[in-house]
Amino acid sequence: MIFPFGRILLLCCALLIACDKPAPDSPSPTVSVVFKHSKLFGDSSAFDRLISEFELGNPGIRVERQTLPSSSDAQHLFYAINFQAKSSAFDVLAVDIIWVAEFARSGWLRDLNHLLPSGELTAFFSGPIRAVTYEGKIFAIPWFIDAGLLYYRKDLLQQYGFSPPETWDQLVHIARTIVGKETELYGFVWQGKQYEGLICNALEYIWSNGGDVLHERRVVLDSASNRQALEFMRDLVVSHRVTPDFVTTDTEETSRRVFGSGRAVFLRNWPYAWNLFQQEGSMVKNKVGVALLPHFPGHRSVSTLGGWQLGINRNSLHPEAAEKLVKFLTSPRAQRALSLAYGFHPTRKSLYRETELLQAQPLLGQLHDIFEQARPRPVTPFYIMISQVLQSEFSAVIAGVKPADMALQSAQTRVEKILAHGD
Amino acid sequence: MATDRRNREERATLFLAPAGITLSAVMLFPAVYILWLSLERRSLIFGTPQFIGFDNYLRLAHDPQFWNALVNTVYFTVVSVQGELVLGLLMALLLRRPFRGRGLLYAIILIPWAIPTVVSARMWEWLYNADFGVLNYLFQARINWLGNPVWALHAAIAMDVWKSTPFVALLLLAGLQSIPRELYHAAAVDGASRWTMFRRITWPALLPLILVVLIFRTIDAFRVFDSIYVLTGGGPGSSTETVSIYAYKLLFQTLEFGYGSAVAVAILMSVALATVVYAWLLRRVSP
Repeated sequence: MIFPFGRILLLCCALLIACDKPAPDSPSPTVSVVFKHSKLFGDSSAFDRLISEFELGNPGIRVERQTLPSSSDAQHLFYAINFQAKSSAFDVLAVDIIWVAEFARSGWLRDLNHLLPSGELTAFFSGPIRAVTYEGKIFAIPWFIDAGLLYYRKDLLQQYGFSPPETWDQLVHIARTIVGKETELYGFVWQGKQYEGLICNALEYIWSNGGDVLHERRVVLDSASNRQALEFMRDLVVSHRVTPDFVTTDTEETSRRVFGSGRAVFLRNWPYAWNLFQQEGSMVKNKVGVALLPHFPGHRSVSTLGGWQLGINRNSLHPEAAEKLVKFLTSPRAQRALSLAYGFHPTRKSLYRETELLQAQPLLGQLHDIFEQARPRPVTPFYIMISQVLQSEFSAVIAGVKPADMALQSAQTRVEKILAHGD
Repeated sequence: MATDRRNREERATLFLAPAGITLSAVMLFPAVYILWLSLERRSLIFGTPQFIGFDNYLRLAHDPQFWNALVNTVYFTVVSVQGELVLGLLMALLLRRPFRGRGLLYAIILIPWAIPTVVSARMWEWLYNADFGVLNYLFQARINWLGNPVWALHAAIAMDVWKSTPFVALLLLAGLQSIPRELYHAAAVDGASRWTMFRRITWPALLPLILVVLIFRTIDAFRVFDSIYVLTGGGPGSSTETVSIYAYKLLFQTLEFGYGSAVAVAILMSVALATVVYAWLLRRVSP
């Protein structure tokens, strides 16, 4: 039997052509923009309303939201593999602050320089802008900002006549005094497990002592100020004894719980913890204050930046529509709505002066100052590899496996090797 | 006759073909591909792949993080497998004689083996919690089980022993029950002590099975990943980082597919080496 391939093929073609033709009564064909992001919202109704507003204002554009798994590794892997395969299955993506340089160098993100003319540029906090700039060009627009801050027990500090500490030594002094007089109380909890959070913590000591990881493209890890900073972190546990030894297992949530159950004087964490402390039934409700992180004498406080940026896939089939969406979502209007609905922190400085927002989130005024002095982790395409090295070496110092100078020497050579490979 | 046999062989080949093709697709192809990848400099961060021969293996030889992981893994494997063998054998000997409630005990003993590792690791993470964990409460101690570089690996070993001893006990029990009773009766008539019976009858009869159990457990322990990933993530100070954890970090976090594949191949080679040694021992002790 001869199979009528030819005829079937012809029929298929005819059908395809018939389907491809736009219906005569819709003059502009609808473009569907796919927006990939991690699970950012508990109840997505406020965000959905915002999206409908965008669709209403931009007839012909439809937005399709797609949620990624919550693990940061899984998201990074998803993006990298799809970009590598030149996928055009998504147009707009939420990018973690530490991925922008890597994605930009690989040529995976569209250059968005024209979306932020210099006048617009200064409307944003400078930290996130530094993080999204690679070789002089902007590859993503800052959407939300996060930074490390110091939580303290307002009631205890008041009771013992202290004001919030400005230097690390003051923090140690206050913690030791209060812990010595109370029972069942730790001095200062933070994130010391071997993971990304440890880098966020360690950089705050390093930066607030004038140290750094990279300077321009040079590795400057092996320095006296860095050694002093890491030794201080170790000393918090062993000689000052204000931090419990199990800090080497602590993450954001475990340390937040210790402080939230009223068993620590100080906590380093991200702003998200505030709402949980102020919740009904919280053991520290109305007893918590926030402040800039302390610094070493002669230097100033620096917080590590976190947060999300919006980028556009280089292979997007609808770059104009995607740009419209990015512009809309990073506009003051959208940031305000999302801040009110979800407590996110806007990247636009002007919003921190609006009474409506300040009333809803009294913390915003203070956060403004914290975000102003926040710094991105080293902006380099090889950040993830560098971070792996630092996690292992810094953790070794805090757990007492290696002295700080040895760990820093080893980190210096290993990071130099990574950069030499990359260039 | 000859054609008939050839026909049958052809038909057998034909019937086996789907299984063969499927297995090649899902087992052989990835294995060969990993070998190929391990000869490339391929990293999503660095960009274009490049054939570099054995450079990845050279880098492996000089990579302190890999050697640290290998030492951790070997230590983990040797200690946990030994512990499981001793405890498993004791358990099997105790369960050998029938007694009231043996069936129930059987079932209870198997529970740790039946729980998915990730779930039991979460449970142990809470037990080990230095701040409010049950273990510290029981010992009235303040031991930093998972955060101290000396304790952490042992804590992971203890969990592995807890989890895998039932498996060892079950297999050894089956072996014990296949030893003919008459041997013991005869030994009793000859006036042998219980220790002599164990040394002269039980141990030699069980030895081949013990080696098989050791092969299973060694391969499994050497590739340990999920329990450590949940308990410590490799920390503190990489003191619990095993080769599988290291391979995961390379393949799924820093996306160094070439070098990560080289680590995976090194894991495979180590496991193969251990298996060959056991197989050789097995051949020597088997009657």
